Amino acid sequence: MELTQDYLARLDAVQPKELPTDLDLFDEATATRGIRLNKAAYSLKDEPQRELFHSDEEAWMDQFGLTDTEKDLVRRRDWIGLWRAGMSIYVMVKLSGVTNTPLPEIGKQMRESGGS
Amino acid sequence: MASIVGGIGASHAPSMEHIYDAGEEVRESDEWQPLFGPFKQVADWLEELKPDRLVVVYNDHMDQFFLDAYPTFALGVADTYPVADEGFGARPFPPLPGDAKLGWHIARSLVADEFDITICQALEVDHGVISPLPMVDFSEGEGGWKIPIVPLAVNVILHPLPSPLRCWKLGQALRRAILSFEDDLRVVVVGTGGLSHQLTGPRFGQVTPDWDQEFMRLLAEEPESLTKYTYKQLIELGGTESVEVVNWLAMRGALPDGARALVTAYYAHRIMGYGLQTFEVAA
Repeated sequence: MELTQDYLARLDAVQPKELPTDLDLFDEATATRGIRLNKAAYSLKDEPQRELFHSDEEAWMDQFGLTDTEKDLVRRRDWIGLWRAGMSIYVMVKLSGVTNTPLPEIGKQMRESGGS
Repeated sequence: MASIVGGIGASHAPSMEHIYDAGEEVRESDEWQPLFGPFKQVADWLEELKPDRLVVVYNDHMDQFFLDAYPTFALGVADTYPVADEGFGARPFPPLPGDAKLGWHIARSLVADEFDITICQALEVDHGVISPLPMVDFSEGEGGWKIPIVPLAVNVILHPLPSPLRCWKLGQALRRAILSFEDDLRVVVVGTGGLSHQLTGPRFGQVTPDWDQEFMRLLAEEPESLTKYTYKQLIELGGTESVEVVNWLAMRGALPDGARALVTAYYAHRIMGYGLQTFEVAA
């Protein structure tokens, strides 16, 4: 048969499964869930977007079609909520920069979160 | 013809940038000497080795590439690589010199070897490249980069990731690409990232020094054994973000069988397991 044991083993290994609940992955589920929030936070690598964030945060958010729930997470600087909503840590640090949030503060919330 | 004269594995992290930029006194402080002291050793070693090019296997952190089109492997074929603005303004370094001719040759060779990389005529490099690189490739006195680079980015952030075995084979293909280049260049291959760190969830800040040191031992003594690890295992051993170590595995795959570990340094500090390892290649 074409679908050999070798192939099936590779297919199985390419998607890590049954990780301990306190470890996470950025994969199909996360990327799908976080698609708007990631696009928004990624934009902050450009200075004009950072300026807009500072001058009119609501207008900044309106560019990315964020849901009301997502906007609320941004407004409340709810790092755990943003993480659970699919925001990648690598764009989260850009949002932390523009909001003057030190990484240890995010770390503190992460440690107290109890997982995803 | 070109030759490969050495290899370097080095962690990358924004913290390394902050400390480097804070100046020599901070780098040499008790807190940071365990990391920056060994980098000085590596800089001295490179000074003697006199490589003409560094091929840097690294990963981007959504500073050049984004999720709208995320490349599994991406190769620079440019003559300069500007420093990316990661969200805080770019660090004040001049653009890194590249080597488009070598880059294009590597592109052709990798594709001939069935590694169908994304080919980049413009590429901004982030801390995946420029957090370790100033320590070994920047002349503060002259304010300039010393050795041109060819960057090769690996996707280690959006699953599915290329397997550790695939990254090892990428290194082997990279070796053929360099050895078949017509110009008489001495090349050092660099792999950046890791070692253990966890930036998300309740294990935020966890480092696992025993595994990190075992990883460096295996990389030196039996590198192919690392190709058998799954990402699930690597994540459980070193943390979600530690999977960057496959960049080191690609570097090691580009070295000949007889490569020997020279400097091996490790410093677990705050939220990072910092590793640094150089490989000597017999002439």
